[in-house]
Amino acid sequence: MNERTDHDMLDDVAVYALGALPAGEARRVRRHIAGCELCRDEYARLQATASLVGATAATQGDARDCPGTLLKPRIMRAIREQAQPLKVRNAAPRAWPAYLVAAACIAIAIVSSVANIALTGQYRQAQEELARTRQQSTAASQTLLATRTTLNDLVSSDAKRYPIDNGEIVTRSGRLYVAMRSLPQPPRGKVYQAWTLAKGAKKVAPSLTFVPDERGVAVIAIPVDARGLAAVALSVEPDGGSKQPTTKPIAVVPLT
Amino acid sequence: MIEDAGALMARVRERDTNAFESIYDANHRLVYGVALRMLGDAPGAEDVTQAVFLKIWNAPDLFRGGNFAAWIVRVTRNRALDVLRSRTRSEGELPEALPEQETLEDVAFARIDAERVRAALAALPPEQREPIELGFFGGITHEEIARRCKIPLGTIKTRIRTGLRKLRAALDETVPA
Repeated sequence: MNERTDHDMLDDVAVYALGALPAGEARRVRRHIAGCELCRDEYARLQATASLVGATAATQGDARDCPGTLLKPRIMRAIREQAQPLKVRNAAPRAWPAYLVAAACIAIAIVSSVANIALTGQYRQAQEELARTRQQSTAASQTLLATRTTLNDLVSSDAKRYPIDNGEIVTRSGRLYVAMRSLPQPPRGKVYQAWTLAKGAKKVAPSLTFVPDERGVAVIAIPVDARGLAAVALSVEPDGGSKQPTTKPIAVVPLT
Repeated sequence: MIEDAGALMARVRERDTNAFESIYDANHRLVYGVALRMLGDAPGAEDVTQAVFLKIWNAPDLFRGGNFAAWIVRVTRNRALDVLRSRTRSEGELPEALPEQETLEDVAFARIDAERVRAALAALPPEQREPIELGFFGGITHEEIARRCKIPLGTIKTRIRTGLRKLRAALDETVPA
Protein backbone atom coordinates (compact mmCIF):
# COMPACT_ATOMS: atom_id res chain seq x y z
CA MET A 1 0.00 0.00 0.00
CA ASN A 2 1.50 3.38 -0.92
CA GLU A 3 1.34 6.48 1.21
CA ARG A 4 -1.51 8.08 -0.68
CA THR A 5 -3.61 4.95 -0.43
CA ASP A 6 -2.84 4.78 3.27
CA HIS A 7 -4.14 8.28 3.75
CA ASP A 8 -7.30 7.68 1.76
CA MET A 9 -8.07 4.50 3.60
CA LEU A 10 -7.44 6.05 7.00
CA ASP A 11 -10.07 8.68 6.27
CA ASP A 12 -12.49 5.92 5.34
CA VAL A 13 -11.53 3.98 8.46
CA ALA A 14 -12.41 7.02 10.57
CA VAL A 15 -15.83 7.36 8.94
CA TYR A 16 -16.36 3.64 9.37
CA ALA A 17 -15.46 3.87 13.06
CA LEU A 18 -18.07 6.60 13.40
CA GLY A 19 -20.65 4.32 11.81
CA ALA A 20 -21.35 6.67 8.92
CA LEU A 21 -20.36 4.58 5.90
CA PRO A 22 -22.99 3.10 3.60
CA ALA A 23 -23.17 -0.68 3.46
CA GLY A 24 -21.03 -1.27 0.39
CA GLU A 25 -18.19 0.94 1.51
CA ALA A 26 -18.37 -0.46 5.00
CA ARG A 27 -17.81 -3.96 3.61
CA ARG A 28 -14.83 -2.75 1.62
CA VAL A 29 -13.28 -1.04 4.64
CA ARG A 30 -13.99 -4.06 6.84
CA ARG A 31 -12.19 -6.33 4.40
CA HIS A 32 -9.27 -3.92 4.23
CA ILE A 33 -9.00 -3.63 7.99
CA ALA A 34 -8.82 -7.39 8.30
CA GLY A 35 -5.56 -7.38 6.34
CA CYS A 36 -3.98 -4.06 7.27
CA GLU A 37 -2.44 -3.66 10.69
CA LEU A 38 -2.10 0.11 10.35
CA CYS A 39 -5.78 0.60 9.61
CA ARG A 40 -6.82 -1.98 12.18
CA ASP A 41 -5.00 -0.07 14.90
CA GLU A 42 -6.45 3.21 13.71
CA TYR A 43 -9.92 1.71 13.72
CA ALA A 44 -9.55 0.40 17.26
CA ARG A 45 -8.44 3.82 18.51
CA LEU A 46 -11.02 5.84 16.66
CA GLN A 47 -13.94 3.54 17.36
CA ALA A 48 -13.30 3.86 21.08
CA THR A 49 -13.16 7.62 20.61
CA ALA A 50 -16.33 7.64 18.52
CA SER A 51 -18.14 5.70 21.23
CA LEU A 52 -17.21 8.43 23.68
CA VAL A 53 -19.10 10.91 21.54
CA GLY A 54 -22.16 9.06 22.75
CA ALA A 55 -21.18 9.80 26.32
CA THR A 56 -21.87 13.46 25.68
CA ALA A 57 -25.55 12.61 25.45
CA ALA A 58 -25.76 11.17 28.96
CA THR A 59 -28.52 12.95 30.83
CA GLN A 60 -27.66 14.87 33.96
CA GLY A 61 -30.62 14.41 36.25
CA ASP A 62 -32.94 17.06 34.94
CA ALA A 63 -36.38 15.47 35.04
CA ARG A 64 -37.05 16.47 31.45
CA ASP A 65 -34.02 14.52 30.31
CA CYS A 66 -34.59 11.36 32.32
CA PRO A 67 -36.62 8.30 31.51
CA GLY A 68 -40.01 8.15 33.18
CA THR A 69 -40.14 6.88 36.72
CA LEU A 70 -42.16 3.88 35.61
CA LEU A 71 -39.53 2.63 33.21
CA LYS A 72 -37.26 1.03 35.78
CA PRO A 73 -40.07 -0.83 37.57
CA ARG A 74 -41.33 -2.02 34.21
CA ILE A 75 -37.95 -3.37 33.20
CA MET A 76 -37.24 -4.92 36.60
CA ARG A 77 -40.65 -6.58 36.65
CA ALA A 78 -40.01 -8.05 33.22
CA ILE A 79 -36.64 -9.52 34.08
CA ARG A 80 -37.79 -10.86 37.45
CA GLU A 81 -40.67 -12.60 35.74
CA GLN A 82 -38.16 -14.16 33.41
CA ALA A 83 -35.75 -15.12 36.14
CA GLN A 84 -38.28 -17.15 38.11
CA PRO A 85 -39.33 -19.64 35.42
CA LEU A 86 -35.70 -20.29 34.52
CA LYS A 87 -35.47 -22.09 37.85
CA VAL A 88 -38.47 -24.16 36.81
CA ARG A 89 -36.63 -25.04 33.65
CA ASN A 90 -33.64 -26.27 35.58
CA ALA A 91 -35.83 -28.38 37.82
CA ALA A 92 -37.72 -30.01 34.99
CA PRO A 93 -35.98 -32.95 33.36
CA ARG A 94 -38.11 -32.94 30.23
CA ALA A 95 -36.54 -30.76 27.60
CA TRP A 96 -39.42 -29.55 25.50
CA PRO A 97 -41.94 -28.49 28.16
CA ALA A 98 -39.27 -26.75 30.21
CA TYR A 99 -38.13 -25.06 27.10
CA LEU A 100 -41.61 -23.80 26.51
CA VAL A 101 -41.69 -22.28 29.97
CA ALA A 102 -38.45 -20.42 29.38
CA ALA A 103 -39.72 -19.28 26.04
CA ALA A 104 -42.96 -17.99 27.48
CA CYS A 105 -41.07 -15.91 29.99
CA ILE A 106 -38.74 -14.49 27.42
CA ALA A 107 -41.77 -13.41 25.46
CA ILE A 108 -42.86 -11.26 28.40
CA ALA A 109 -39.97 -8.93 27.94
CA ILE A 110 -39.14 -8.87 24.28
CA VAL A 111 -41.13 -5.85 23.29
CA SER A 112 -39.87 -6.01 19.75
CA SER A 113 -42.06 -9.10 19.43
CA VAL A 114 -39.11 -11.40 19.13
CA ALA A 115 -39.89 -14.47 21.19
CA ASN A 116 -37.77 -17.49 21.88
CA ILE A 117 -39.92 -20.52 22.31
CA ALA A 118 -39.65 -24.19 21.67
CA LEU A 119 -40.97 -26.24 18.85
CA THR A 120 -42.74 -29.39 19.81
CA GLY A 121 -45.13 -31.85 18.44
CA GLN A 122 -46.24 -32.71 21.95
CA TYR A 123 -48.99 -30.17 22.16
CA ARG A 124 -50.68 -31.84 25.10
CA GLN A 125 -47.52 -31.52 27.20
CA ALA A 126 -47.18 -27.92 26.14
CA GLN A 127 -50.68 -27.13 27.27
CA GLU A 128 -50.10 -28.79 30.63
CA GLU A 129 -46.87 -26.92 31.13
CA LEU A 130 -48.44 -23.66 30.15
CA ALA A 131 -51.36 -24.27 32.50
CA ARG A 132 -49.04 -24.88 35.43
CA THR A 133 -47.08 -21.77 34.66
CA ARG A 134 -50.23 -19.68 34.50
CA GLN A 135 -51.10 -20.78 38.01
CA GLN A 136 -47.78 -19.46 39.22
CA SER A 137 -48.32 -15.95 38.01
CA THR A 138 -51.38 -14.05 36.94
CA ALA A 139 -49.25 -11.54 35.14
CA ALA A 140 -47.34 -14.24 33.34
CA SER A 141 -50.54 -15.92 32.26
CA GLN A 142 -51.48 -13.05 30.00
CA THR A 143 -48.25 -13.40 28.14
CA LEU A 144 -48.58 -17.13 28.04
CA LEU A 145 -51.91 -16.77 26.33
CA ALA A 146 -50.22 -14.81 23.62
CA THR A 147 -47.43 -17.33 23.50
CA ARG A 148 -49.95 -20.14 23.26
CA THR A 149 -51.22 -18.55 20.08
CA THR A 150 -47.74 -18.90 18.73
CA LEU A 151 -47.52 -22.48 19.96
CA ASN A 152 -50.86 -23.30 18.40
CA ASP A 153 -49.63 -21.94 15.12
CA LEU A 154 -46.37 -23.81 15.30
CA VAL A 155 -47.85 -27.19 16.10
CA SER A 156 -51.05 -26.85 14.09
CA SER A 157 -51.65 -29.44 11.42
CA ASP A 158 -52.95 -26.79 9.07
CA ALA A 159 -49.85 -24.61 9.35
CA LYS A 160 -47.69 -24.41 6.25
CA ARG A 161 -44.12 -25.48 6.84
CA TYR A 162 -41.10 -24.68 4.72
CA PRO A 163 -38.06 -26.66 5.92
CA ILE A 164 -34.68 -24.95 5.91
CA ASP A 165 -31.33 -25.87 7.38
CA ASN A 166 -31.59 -25.99 11.18
CA GLY A 167 -35.29 -25.16 11.26
CA GLU A 168 -38.28 -24.11 9.27
CA ILE A 169 -40.47 -21.22 8.20
CA VAL A 170 -44.05 -21.57 9.43
CA THR A 171 -47.14 -19.67 8.31
CA ARG A 172 -50.69 -19.91 9.59
CA SER A 173 -53.60 -17.53 9.14
CA GLY A 174 -51.31 -14.80 7.89
CA ARG A 175 -48.90 -15.14 10.81
CA LEU A 176 -45.29 -15.87 9.99
CA TYR A 177 -42.58 -17.48 12.11
CA VAL A 178 -38.93 -18.27 11.66
CA ALA A 179 -38.40 -21.34 13.86
CA MET A 180 -34.83 -22.55 14.31
CA ARG A 181 -33.83 -25.63 16.29
CA SER A 182 -30.05 -25.80 16.07
CA LEU A 183 -28.85 -22.54 14.63
CA PRO A 184 -25.16 -21.82 15.29
CA GLN A 185 -24.32 -18.64 17.14
CA PRO A 186 -23.52 -15.85 14.66
CA PRO A 187 -19.95 -14.57 14.48
CA ARG A 188 -18.91 -12.03 17.07
CA GLY A 189 -20.60 -8.68 16.47
CA LYS A 190 -23.13 -10.23 14.12
CA VAL A 191 -26.77 -11.20 14.36
CA TYR A 192 -29.21 -13.04 12.18
CA GLN A 193 -31.70 -10.89 10.33
CA ALA A 194 -34.94 -11.85 8.63
CA TRP A 195 -36.00 -10.32 5.32
CA THR A 196 -39.36 -10.32 3.62
CA LEU A 197 -40.21 -9.94 -0.05
CA ALA A 198 -43.71 -8.62 -0.71
CA LYS A 199 -45.61 -9.97 -3.67
CA GLY A 200 -44.72 -7.91 -6.71
CA ALA A 201 -41.79 -6.24 -4.95
CA LYS A 202 -38.28 -6.31 -6.35
CA LYS A 203 -36.41 -5.62 -3.15
CA VAL A 204 -36.56 -7.32 0.20
CA ALA A 205 -37.58 -5.37 3.28
CA PRO A 206 -35.57 -5.61 6.52
CA SER A 207 -37.25 -7.35 9.41
CA LEU A 208 -36.23 -8.43 12.88
CA THR A 209 -32.74 -9.33 14.02
CA PHE A 210 -32.14 -12.15 16.46
CA VAL A 211 -29.64 -14.54 17.96
CA PRO A 212 -30.45 -18.08 19.03
CA ASP A 213 -30.26 -19.10 22.66
CA GLU A 214 -27.45 -21.25 23.97
CA ARG A 215 -29.17 -24.32 22.58
CA GLY A 216 -29.34 -22.84 19.11
CA VAL A 217 -33.09 -22.30 19.28
CA ALA A 218 -34.98 -19.20 18.28
CA VAL A 219 -38.52 -18.61 17.12
CA ILE A 220 -39.19 -15.25 15.60
CA ALA A 221 -42.69 -13.96 15.06
CA ILE A 222 -42.36 -11.72 12.04
CA PRO A 223 -44.73 -8.74 12.34
CA VAL A 224 -46.12 -8.89 8.82
CA ASP A 225 -49.09 -10.49 7.07
CA ALA A 226 -47.62 -13.58 5.43
CA ARG A 227 -50.41 -13.63 2.88
CA GLY A 228 -48.88 -10.62 1.19
CA LEU A 229 -45.41 -12.12 0.94
CA ALA A 230 -43.66 -13.88 -1.88
CA ALA A 231 -40.59 -15.00 0.07
CA VAL A 232 -38.67 -14.89 3.34
CA ALA A 233 -34.89 -14.87 3.70
CA LEU A 234 -32.33 -14.98 6.49
CA SER A 235 -28.82 -13.58 6.52
CA VAL A 236 -26.03 -12.75 8.92
CA GLU A 237 -25.69 -9.00 9.50
CA PRO A 238 -23.82 -6.60 11.77
CA ASP A 239 -25.35 -6.23 15.21
CA GLY A 240 -28.25 -3.84 14.88
CA GLY A 241 -29.21 -5.10 11.48
CA SER A 242 -28.92 -3.70 7.99
CA LYS A 243 -31.21 -1.98 5.56
CA GLN A 244 -30.21 -4.36 2.80
CA PRO A 245 -28.55 -7.78 3.04
CA THR A 246 -24.80 -7.44 3.27
CA THR A 247 -24.06 -11.15 3.12
CA LYS A 248 -25.28 -14.04 1.06
CA PRO A 249 -28.55 -15.27 2.62
CA ILE A 250 -28.33 -18.51 4.54
CA ALA A 251 -31.90 -19.29 3.50
CA VAL A 252 -34.32 -18.01 0.87
CA VAL A 253 -37.80 -19.47 1.10
CA PRO A 254 -40.48 -18.80 -1.51
CA LEU A 255 -43.93 -18.83 0.11
CA THR A 256 -46.72 -20.55 -1.73
CA MET B 1 -15.86 1.35 36.88
CA ILE B 2 -14.87 -1.02 34.11
CA GLU B 3 -14.00 -3.80 36.56
CA ASP B 4 -17.25 -3.26 38.39
CA ALA B 5 -19.24 -3.50 35.20
CA GLY B 6 -17.45 -6.69 34.19
CA ALA B 7 -18.10 -8.27 37.56
CA LEU B 8 -21.73 -7.19 37.47
CA MET B 9 -22.19 -8.64 34.01
CA ALA B 10 -20.76 -11.92 35.24
CA ARG B 11 -23.48 -11.94 37.90
CA VAL B 12 -26.10 -11.03 35.32
CA ARG B 13 -25.08 -14.14 33.41
CA GLU B 14 -25.96 -16.04 36.58
CA ARG B 15 -29.41 -14.38 36.50
CA ASP B 16 -28.67 -12.04 39.40
CA THR B 17 -31.37 -9.37 39.26
CA ASN B 18 -29.61 -7.20 41.84
CA ALA B 19 -26.55 -7.03 39.60
CA PHE B 20 -28.77 -6.13 36.68
CA GLU B 21 -30.38 -3.37 38.71
CA SER B 22 -26.96 -1.96 39.54
CA ILE B 23 -26.08 -1.90 35.87
CA TYR B 24 -29.35 -0.16 35.11
CA ASP B 25 -28.80 2.47 37.80
CA ALA B 26 -25.28 3.19 36.59
CA ASN B 27 -26.06 3.39 32.89
CA HIS B 28 -29.69 4.30 32.27
CA ARG B 29 -28.97 8.00 31.87
CA LEU B 30 -26.33 7.25 29.28
CA VAL B 31 -28.57 4.87 27.34
CA TYR B 32 -31.59 7.13 27.52
CA GLY B 33 -29.51 10.18 26.65
CA VAL B 34 -28.08 8.62 23.50
CA ALA B 35 -31.50 7.39 22.43
CA LEU B 36 -33.12 10.74 23.15
CA ARG B 37 -30.44 12.60 21.24
CA MET B 38 -30.84 10.32 18.23
CA LEU B 39 -34.61 9.98 18.16
CA GLY B 40 -35.65 13.32 19.56
CA ASP B 41 -38.69 12.04 21.42
CA ALA B 42 -39.03 10.72 24.94
CA PRO B 43 -41.37 7.78 24.26
CA GLY B 44 -39.06 6.47 21.57
CA ALA B 45 -36.05 6.94 23.82
CA GLU B 46 -37.77 5.00 26.59
CA ASP B 47 -38.59 2.17 24.22
CA VAL B 48 -34.97 1.99 23.13
CA THR B 49 -33.79 2.14 26.75
CA GLN B 50 -36.05 -0.74 27.66
CA ALA B 51 -34.95 -2.76 24.64
CA VAL B 52 -31.27 -2.21 25.42
CA PHE B 53 -31.53 -3.32 29.02
CA LEU B 54 -33.67 -6.31 28.17
CA LYS B 55 -31.05 -7.26 25.63
CA ILE B 56 -28.42 -7.03 28.34
CA TRP B 57 -30.51 -9.33 30.50
CA ASN B 58 -31.43 -11.78 27.76
CA ALA B 59 -28.05 -11.93 26.04
CA PRO B 60 -25.35 -10.91 28.54
CA ASP B 61 -22.76 -12.94 26.64
CA LEU B 62 -22.83 -10.30 23.92
CA PHE B 63 -20.60 -8.23 26.20
CA ARG B 64 -17.19 -9.81 25.88
CA GLY B 65 -15.15 -7.48 28.02
CA GLY B 66 -13.55 -4.11 27.42
CA ASN B 67 -15.08 -0.73 28.07
CA PHE B 68 -18.65 -1.40 29.14
CA ALA B 69 -19.82 2.18 28.66
CA ALA B 70 -18.49 2.24 25.12
CA TRP B 71 -20.16 -1.09 24.43
CA ILE B 72 -23.53 -0.03 25.76
CA VAL B 73 -23.35 3.17 23.75
CA ARG B 74 -22.87 1.07 20.61
CA VAL B 75 -25.74 -1.21 21.52
CA THR B 76 -27.95 1.80 22.13
CA ARG B 77 -26.93 3.48 18.92
CA ASN B 78 -27.64 0.33 16.94
CA ARG B 79 -31.07 -0.02 18.46
CA ALA B 80 -31.89 3.65 17.88
CA LEU B 81 -30.69 3.33 14.29
CA ASP B 82 -33.15 0.47 13.84
CA VAL B 83 -35.88 2.85 14.87
CA LEU B 84 -34.58 5.61 12.63
CA ARG B 85 -34.39 3.19 9.73
CA SER B 86 -37.97 2.16 10.24
CA ARG B 87 -38.96 5.83 10.26
CA THR B 88 -36.90 7.13 7.40
CA ARG B 89 -35.45 4.16 5.54
CA SER B 90 -32.13 5.98 5.63
CA GLU B 91 -28.90 4.50 4.41
CA GLY B 92 -26.03 3.46 6.59
CA GLU B 93 -24.28 0.48 8.04
CA LEU B 94 -22.80 0.12 11.46
CA PRO B 95 -19.28 -0.87 12.34
CA GLU B 96 -18.68 -4.15 14.01
CA ALA B 97 -18.53 -4.46 17.75
CA LEU B 98 -15.76 -2.89 19.74
CA PRO B 99 -12.39 -4.60 19.65
CA GLU B 100 -12.53 -7.51 22.00
CA GLN B 101 -9.27 -6.82 23.78
CA GLU B 102 -9.35 -4.42 26.65
CA THR B 103 -6.68 -1.79 26.23
CA LEU B 104 -5.11 0.68 28.57
CA GLU B 105 -6.93 3.27 26.58
CA ASP B 106 -10.26 1.69 27.46
CA VAL B 107 -9.37 1.79 31.11
CA ALA B 108 -8.30 5.39 30.83
CA PHE B 109 -11.42 6.39 28.96
CA ALA B 110 -13.54 4.71 31.57
CA ARG B 111 -12.33 7.32 34.04
CA ILE B 112 -13.51 10.21 31.94
CA ASP B 113 -16.87 11.58 32.83
CA ALA B 114 -19.33 12.81 30.28
CA GLU B 115 -18.59 16.43 31.09
CA ARG B 116 -14.97 16.07 30.04
CA VAL B 117 -15.99 14.48 26.78
CA ARG B 118 -18.50 17.26 26.21
CA ALA B 119 -15.82 19.86 26.81
CA ALA B 120 -13.39 18.13 24.47
CA LEU B 121 -16.01 17.80 21.77
CA ALA B 122 -17.09 21.42 22.19
CA ALA B 123 -13.49 22.51 21.80
CA LEU B 124 -13.30 21.06 18.30
CA PRO B 125 -13.72 23.49 15.41
CA PRO B 126 -17.37 23.47 14.28
CA GLU B 127 -16.42 22.14 10.86
CA GLN B 128 -15.04 19.02 12.55
CA ARG B 129 -17.50 18.70 15.42
CA GLU B 130 -20.65 18.94 13.31
CA PRO B 131 -19.96 16.06 10.93
CA ILE B 132 -18.95 13.87 13.86
CA GLU B 133 -22.16 14.61 15.74
CA LEU B 134 -24.24 14.21 12.60
CA GLY B 135 -22.62 10.89 11.83
CA PHE B 136 -22.94 9.50 15.32
CA PHE B 137 -26.32 10.81 16.45
CA GLY B 138 -27.96 11.46 13.12
CA GLY B 139 -27.49 7.94 11.83
CA ILE B 140 -26.71 9.22 8.34
CA THR B 141 -23.89 8.44 5.96
CA HIS B 142 -20.94 10.63 5.13
CA GLU B 143 -22.52 11.35 1.77
CA GLU B 144 -25.60 12.78 3.44
CA ILE B 145 -23.40 14.71 5.83
CA ALA B 146 -21.55 16.20 2.88
CA ARG B 147 -24.83 17.17 1.23
CA ARG B 148 -26.17 18.79 4.37
CA CYS B 149 -22.97 20.68 5.04
CA LYS B 150 -22.48 21.45 1.34
CA ILE B 151 -18.91 20.27 1.62
CA PRO B 152 -17.08 17.89 -0.77
CA LEU B 153 -17.20 14.27 0.38
CA GLY B 154 -13.43 13.94 0.63
CA THR B 155 -13.25 17.01 2.83
CA ILE B 156 -15.94 15.64 5.12
CA LYS B 157 -14.05 12.36 5.53
CA THR B 158 -10.84 14.17 6.36
CA ARG B 159 -12.61 16.44 8.85
CA ILE B 160 -14.18 13.47 10.60
CA ARG B 161 -10.86 11.76 10.96
CA THR B 162 -9.07 14.91 12.03
CA GLY B 163 -11.80 15.67 14.55
CA LEU B 164 -11.78 12.19 16.03
CA ARG B 165 -8.00 12.24 16.35
CA LYS B 166 -8.10 15.66 18.04
CA LEU B 167 -10.81 14.45 20.37
CA ARG B 168 -8.76 11.43 21.26
CA ALA B 169 -5.68 13.56 21.87
CA ALA B 170 -7.64 15.99 24.05
CA LEU B 171 -9.07 13.18 26.13
CA ASP B 172 -5.67 11.58 26.50
CA GLU B 173 -4.49 14.80 28.11
CA THR B 174 -7.42 14.96 30.51
CA VAL B 175 -7.37 11.38 31.69
CA PRO B 176 -6.56 11.40 35.37
CA ALA B 177 -3.54 9.42 36.40
